[in-house]
Amino acid sequence: MFERRLYYHIDWALVVAILALCWLGVIMIYSTTSDPTRGTSHMYVTQLYAIALGLVAMVFTLTLDYRTFADKSHLIYIALCALLLYVLFFGMVQMGARRWIPLRVFNFQPSEFAKVGVALVLAKFFGENRGAAAWTDLAVGGVLTLIPIGLIAKEPDLGTAVTLVPVFLAVAFLAGMRMRILGILCVCLLLASPVAWKFALKDYQKSRISTFLDPSQDAKGAGYQQIQARITVGSGGLKGKGFRQGTQGQLRFLPVAHNDFIFSVLAEEQGFAGVLVALGLYLFVILRALEAARLSKDRLGSYLVLGVLASFTFQVVYNITMSAGLAPVKGLTLPLMSYGGSSMIATLAGFGLVLNVRMRRFTN
Amino acid sequence: MAVEDRRRVTTRLGILQYLIVVLFSLLAVSFWVLQIVEHAKFEELAENNHQRTLALRAPRGLVFDRDMKVLVVNRQSFSISIVREHTKDMNRTIRLLAEVLGYDEAGVRAVVDRHRREPSYRPITIVQDATLQQVAAVTARRLDFELPDVVVEQVPTRQYPATMAAHLFGYVGEVSDAQVSDSEGLKSGDVVGQAGIEKVYNAMLMGEDGAKRVVVNSVGREIRTLDEDEPMEGKRLQLTIDYDVQKAIEDGFDQLGFNGAAVILDPSNGDVLGFTSRPAYDPNAFAAGIDRATWASLTGDEDLPLSDRAIQGRYSPGSTFKMAVATAALQESVITPDFKVHCSGGATFYGRPFKCWKKGGHGTMDLRHAIEQSCNVYFYTIGNMTGIDKIHKWATLLGLGEKSGIDLPNELTGLVPSPEWKQARFKEKWYAGETVSVSIGQSSVAVTPVSMAVYASTLANGGTRVTPHLLKAVDDGTGWKPVAPPAPRSKASFDPEKLQAIRDGLFLVVNGAGTGHNAQLKGYDVSGKTGTAQVISNQGKERAGKTDKDLRDNGWFVFFAPRDNPQIAGVVLLEHGVHGSNAALIAHHLLDTYFAKKEGRPLPPKPEFKANLVP
Repeated sequence: MFERRLYYHIDWALVVAILALCWLGVIMIYSTTSDPTRGTSHMYVTQLYAIALGLVAMVFTLTLDYRTFADKSHLIYIALCALLLYVLFFGMVQMGARRWIPLRVFNFQPSEFAKVGVALVLAKFFGENRGAAAWTDLAVGGVLTLIPIGLIAKEPDLGTAVTLVPVFLAVAFLAGMRMRILGILCVCLLLASPVAWKFALKDYQKSRISTFLDPSQDAKGAGYQQIQARITVGSGGLKGKGFRQGTQGQLRFLPVAHNDFIFSVLAEEQGFAGVLVALGLYLFVILRALEAARLSKDRLGSYLVLGVLASFTFQVVYNITMSAGLAPVKGLTLPLMSYGGSSMIATLAGFGLVLNVRMRRFTN
Repeated sequence: MAVEDRRRVTTRLGILQYLIVVLFSLLAVSFWVLQIVEHAKFEELAENNHQRTLALRAPRGLVFDRDMKVLVVNRQSFSISIVREHTKDMNRTIRLLAEVLGYDEAGVRAVVDRHRREPSYRPITIVQDATLQQVAAVTARRLDFELPDVVVEQVPTRQYPATMAAHLFGYVGEVSDAQVSDSEGLKSGDVVGQAGIEKVYNAMLMGEDGAKRVVVNSVGREIRTLDEDEPMEGKRLQLTIDYDVQKAIEDGFDQLGFNGAAVILDPSNGDVLGFTSRPAYDPNAFAAGIDRATWASLTGDEDLPLSDRAIQGRYSPGSTFKMAVATAALQESVITPDFKVHCSGGATFYGRPFKCWKKGGHGTMDLRHAIEQSCNVYFYTIGNMTGIDKIHKWATLLGLGEKSGIDLPNELTGLVPSPEWKQARFKEKWYAGETVSVSIGQSSVAVTPVSMAVYASTLANGGTRVTPHLLKAVDDGTGWKPVAPPAPRSKASFDPEKLQAIRDGLFLVVNGAGTGHNAQLKGYDVSGKTGTAQVISNQGKERAGKTDKDLRDNGWFVFFAPRDNPQIAGVVLLEHGVHGSNAALIAHHLLDTYFAKKEGRPLPPKPEFKANLVP
């Protein structure tokens, strides 16, 4: 259980950076969703509650030894898969997807927690092996990842499903997967993409990708958001238009500005200066977490930290790229900043594990 | 952790670390390019994105009568337009809008197609004077984001007094392509005057459209106004028209039911006190865009309601021309007022018989009584003595056969024939016998009602051919500034004594044994002359076989009052009015109204003179 001295080993710098990002997010949510002419929206309050709940989850995930979690990882994994299955049949439908389980306070989205669950189960699985991972290990790990991917993709929520891929790749990479195999995997993914294009992708997904390659071909339709994103970011300039002064986000030229495009709004209202601060904070968080992986006393800890970090980093980099209109529009939120309770709680719980690994580097 | 594991983990974490740093550096550079290097471009795009400039229609200037009674005002109407800039799927918009409005889809499409080449930010107006139901239906759809490209605008729309002086006011309509290219400052979609004073004084009445810069959101809805350039209302015009006189004329025509025209002037300066042309149209029908059916019925009507008979109708003057012949004979000293002629019911000139209208003849009479009795033989005789050249000269000086110069568009010229005219027109010599016909206003003499009003004025004021005009004063927002009446077209020096003889004759027409009794007004010495002009020769009547109404004679009444100090002069023409004395009925009513108003008496009630009509 929690020993008093562990308290001194908590990585407070990381906690502060995470909270700073949450705070930035709340400010931008307030800016984009409360419109004085239309009555005030309380989304930022909801977000504050989510952060509070997330911090409780974080305390929980760092209080118990991460090895305890790892030992129970198979149960956690099975429970998560069951939840994902439940969602598929009984979940709440919103915007054409069945992703949520309605709870009293907010809508619970199991796929967000699947990221942490998969990180745990993969860390445990690869952590038990000594030496470089073998073919069979990779295969088993792959299957463990593919099951929740399949379930989430079925909702459909391709964006979240894809974020699980980096979890597997990162953990396998750290577990010593041969570079050659990694290369082969990448080639396979590349080769699979035309097949996926033909069979797996829906029309709207195809049009998103094709308009990404040439946004002007459909400036009012699918390319619209991308062009608007670039305009939003570009018009921000060095210092930005000022808090709540952004025209693009405030006037809804950007869809879901408080969610997928929150970084665009930050760029518009706070300018390049604000972008550098946010990028710096994210970079700090990621590098700090990588250090926790390096300092970990065992493989399990390293793998676990990297597993948690992989989906986080992937989402951060992809979302920010998309926010600048430089990647196809995908329903991927920006962890820690975007509006969304499940994501916030799952992310903070994940970082609880990261802190957990770091502060227990001296214990046995 | 095993050493090899530790080493591998450290190395691979190192690789990842570098990868991350590189990725974030790339991101930072991307944002630097977008936000710093290309900032100007995107800033402009963002401005264009969220700012729109909307035109604010300037209300046209109000129009008042000479006593500052409001004649033409503006009301607010709603127009519904498509702004293609915001259109994603035009077919869908057209289909939905047609459905919501209850219109034919093809019709809406045709309107859109007509404006296809215009810039896409300019609204294409689909409905000009939308009903409240239409506005409500469209607004509801807009709120649902179904029709983000449809806008409902409030536009000031002209409102005219019902059935009054339609041709004088004219009407407004959307500017035509030709008008846009002809005049600077007009742009497609502007509403301009297309007839009447709306057209002549369009530049004054139009005002300057304002503009409003607004912030709009992504579906084009206005969020707030950045700045507003108030529209400048057009200049206000005061007309010379007297509402009550005008009303009296209109009531008179309504009562009698004839087509025709009337022009009433102040003989001292040419102020137009009343002006009408019948049949009329409703200028309000044009105010918010006329629909096809109404337009078709107006242009297809055989009675030509759109043509302004007062300035475009050319009619034979009949006996009303006799004063011109008398003036020529007197002023050229061919006769004196006491010159006598014997009428035995007809006379022979150049071997051809010419009849008087009174079969038994008028006996021997002087000029005064020849006018009173409208004796044809008397005027055949003096006309023949005077000659066509002199008749032409004096008829012209009195205002006939030339444009009056009234400030209305498309005035036509009448005709007082002359040998030069005949030579140029038909390459034929003038026959002396024609002069005899001209002497009683027959032959090819043709006059417009407005020129007859000038003619009456010139006789009334003693030789000054005033220019009829409608504009009395202009207010550009800084107070009323009177507009000087235009200079007279000509000033002839009439011998007062000779002129008085003609006036005496005209006085007798109304107050003596003449045909103008209907215009008699005790104490006001109304002087005038009826004229009854054949529309078609008797032989022609039989050939034509048309309905009787079309063949009845036109009835004229030209007049002024009082005889010795005329304050009002004018003409009433009734098409197929059978006799000039019928026209005198309307003249009586308007004169009664004019003098009653002038002296502060109660205005006469609506006339009931159907019974007095000569059938």
